Amino acid sequence: MVLLEYKELELLITRVREISGFDFSGYARPSLLRRASRYLTKHTMNLPELYIHIEQGGKAVYDFIQEMTVNYSEMFRDPDFFISVRSEILTYLESYPAIRLWIAGCASGEEAFSMAILLKEAGLFDRSLIYATDLSERVLSSAREGVFSLGHMRTFSENYMLAEGKNSLSDYYHVAYSKAVMDHNLRKNIVFSLHDLTGDGVFNEFQMVSCRNVMIYFNLEQRRKVFKLLYESLGMFGFLCLGKRETLRYSGFEENFRIINGHLNIYQKIK
Amino acid sequence: MTELNPNPLNLVLMGGSSGSFVIFEQIVKLATRPLSCAVIFVIHRGKSSLANLPHLFKAKTKVRMEEPEHLDPVVNDCIYFAVPDYHLLVGPDARFYLDDTDKDFFSRPSIDATFISAAQSGIKIRAAMLFSGASKDGASGLKLIAEKGFATYVQNPDFAEVPRMPAEAISQYGGHQILNEKNIFEEISSVLYSYST
Repeated sequence: MVLLEYKELELLITRVREISGFDFSGYARPSLLRRASRYLTKHTMNLPELYIHIEQGGKAVYDFIQEMTVNYSEMFRDPDFFISVRSEILTYLESYPAIRLWIAGCASGEEAFSMAILLKEAGLFDRSLIYATDLSERVLSSAREGVFSLGHMRTFSENYMLAEGKNSLSDYYHVAYSKAVMDHNLRKNIVFSLHDLTGDGVFNEFQMVSCRNVMIYFNLEQRRKVFKLLYESLGMFGFLCLGKRETLRYSGFEENFRIINGHLNIYQKIK
Repeated sequence: MTELNPNPLNLVLMGGSSGSFVIFEQIVKLATRPLSCAVIFVIHRGKSSLANLPHLFKAKTKVRMEEPEHLDPVVNDCIYFAVPDYHLLVGPDARFYLDDTDKDFFSRPSIDATFISAAQSGIKIRAAMLFSGASKDGASGLKLIAEKGFATYVQNPDFAEVPRMPAEAISQYGGHQILNEKNIFEEISSVLYSYST
């Protein structure tokens, strides 16, 4: 195991910014330290070797950034969250002629496809548009393909059943070359695009923003800025969904939302 | 100005897996008076575990218990439990950080993640302890804490319900103090209530 010190991490962050323009300064340091150490261990590198590697710029440094920021995702992760979205949010949004949802930090698209299926089963998919964004072009291109490993599909199917899906998850994909390929119909109303929560601004107004397990990437100050962005991206009475262990605490927006589900961290903008 | 603080933050870290739950329950019971340390428990549990440990242990102690959220400050006189499906890291700013990077030894939370982050935080660790469990998680974190000069304890594998975890810690580092069956809780109690730090 190769361990970095915080001082070394700060120098590395500065160098990555100089080489690539990517700025880790708003990211939670303890998590970055863990990720950087794991990167070195996985690639059997020491710190000087990492510097030599990223000094090449281009793909080398982007691959490093990608590994440092990639988030873990599953379809229907936290099945009870999807049950709650169905019963507490979609029933409310039913009356809207057009529904815009934003999946912020969508990684390889698991949640976007889950949400598409949920909307489809609620009969709302045709008037919905899902914007799914991430800061990594690589994960987005994988999301656009909608291809997942069959090994993962078993977990996803279990989640789907626990989320009280109406059909079988396999109704929404076919198997090709030992991979699960999501139904192209589901892709129709999903727009995958590049957006960096730490640098880019508001780009639309949404009735629902799902930003689950993304806030844990940021430090206190950056997290407040991201909350402001999400707040401003929501229409009045729009819904904000955070990860199972993420609340509005320390956000500065505690008063602007009411709690829809305190256990699952679903909030509604009220002012 | 921490020198002037009569009671600066210091951590007592406890890690365990299979067979540790009953020990943790006993340790919580030892907390009969206010604590001059923050106690952090990391026990492996499934991601769908709904058991809220502070709630479960409510009748056992009057000391405050929490499942920390991202960025919650770490304070003395509180007992913390790592939540399922996230690693629980301690930052140099004395806040908790949740992390969802890959599992260590098939576990999230992992004991190593918490122990290593605490060892690197610069915050004083009064003691770190590792108990019964079936995986190798925790051994390298405990070793790092010992190498930083902090007190480390391992349950004697001979009386651990599942000996693998404490045995691995001992095989990676010979200098841990061993907690034996006859006086384990007296020892832990004296750590929790030692003011001579």
